[in-house]
Amino acid sequence: MSKILIGRYIAGDSLVYRMDPRGKLLATIGFILLIFLANNPVTYAIVTLFSFVGVAATKLKPKVFWDGVKPMIWLILFTSLLQLFFTVGGKIYWQWSIFALSSYGITNSIFIFIRFTVIILASTVMTVTTMPLEIADAIEWLLIPLKLFRVPVDKIALVMSIALRFVPTLFDETVKIMNAQRSRGADFNNGGLIQRAKAITPLLVPLFISSLETAIDLSTAMESRGYRGDEGRTKFRVLKWSKYDLVNLGYFVVLTALLLIFRTH
Amino acid sequence: MTTKEMFKVELRDLVLLGFVVAIKIVLSRFTIGTTIVHIGLGFIGSVLLGYMFGPVWGAVGGGISDLVSSALFANQGGFFIGFTLSAMIGPLIYGLILYKKPVKIWRIILATLLVTVIVNLGMNTLWLHFLYGMDFKVALIQRVPKEAIAPWLEMIITYFVLRALSRVKIRR
Repeated sequence: MSKILIGRYIAGDSLVYRMDPRGKLLATIGFILLIFLANNPVTYAIVTLFSFVGVAATKLKPKVFWDGVKPMIWLILFTSLLQLFFTVGGKIYWQWSIFALSSYGITNSIFIFIRFTVIILASTVMTVTTMPLEIADAIEWLLIPLKLFRVPVDKIALVMSIALRFVPTLFDETVKIMNAQRSRGADFNNGGLIQRAKAITPLLVPLFISSLETAIDLSTAMESRGYRGDEGRTKFRVLKWSKYDLVNLGYFVVLTALLLIFRTH
Repeated sequence: MTTKEMFKVELRDLVLLGFVVAIKIVLSRFTIGTTIVHIGLGFIGSVLLGYMFGPVWGAVGGGISDLVSSALFANQGGFFIGFTLSAMIGPLIYGLILYKKPVKIWRIILATLLVTVIVNLGMNTLWLHFLYGMDFKVALIQRVPKEAIAPWLEMIITYFVLRALSRVKIRR
């Protein structure tokens, strides 16, 4: 269980690791948006190729990426199958009441399969090669434009880093509370629906109370260390752009250009 | 109400918000139910956010929970703004209906149904349609069976959790 709580970062050293997390985050979001442009076999081939180039550039074992796809594989297959038999159009090869196998359905389900896989691969490249803290910093940087609308971005960043820091702690806490309640007869996996719904309370209330206490302690500690609001403070962890980010940018520009050229207009 | 008043918050509550966001992320890693129906517990986090922090900070917390869990676990949807928006609207709806109100069964039923229809059936299906190019109707058909069962269980859990939490709140 403790394996999932650390996050999915895997230490390594390759081009992708040296890129700035902001650039990587932008590229991941951009890549997912660019997939909207793909609408014919050539563009889907380009998207697939580029995602595999990204995967290869991490120099990590294929198993890492297979682990990213594995939990979703049944959903992907099920969705593709549904699309295969329910979307009708073009030449029809086989039909039985509401199910039909058509040329349109076949290409559509292949496209959906590719989209699913490629999106998961792109997100996996991002989370595997970047530490959660760096991703949080990148997200904070992305939120800066919201300051124009007077959104308290620094407060949001504070909440984000507290949440990030305490997810592992609270995970341990939850497991501990569950075990403590189990040792005195609580049962989280048996009984009727109402029984199970009720069983959540002895888990949640202690978790909540301990959070409340830690929150009070932490805010007292922060104030005694001179925290007087989020504005007018300096940053200790600073992100820096480097020449590797040009590679990222170049990759992205080429992909956009190719997709714009080869998509069906 | 100006933006500044809308976002006014004490440091202690801000820190607690961070904790509740963390609780939401942790809970969403757990599921309960039988082999046939599995229900993630993440919705409890949404209820907590809306109930304790109201629609505005609840929505902010929901958004943060999606971003942080994407950073930690690479969410199923990948980095897609639509799912972040969904994660914000859930606590917003719970906040509008439950925040600073006595815990009543009709409120819980209303809030859960609204979240199920607007967020789970409406928005999330729309994102799947956009993101994966799935046919909207087919994507909806795929989701309906689960969303026909899950809300009722969610209502029961929400009721027990909120009743227990209102006791905690009174004691402080």
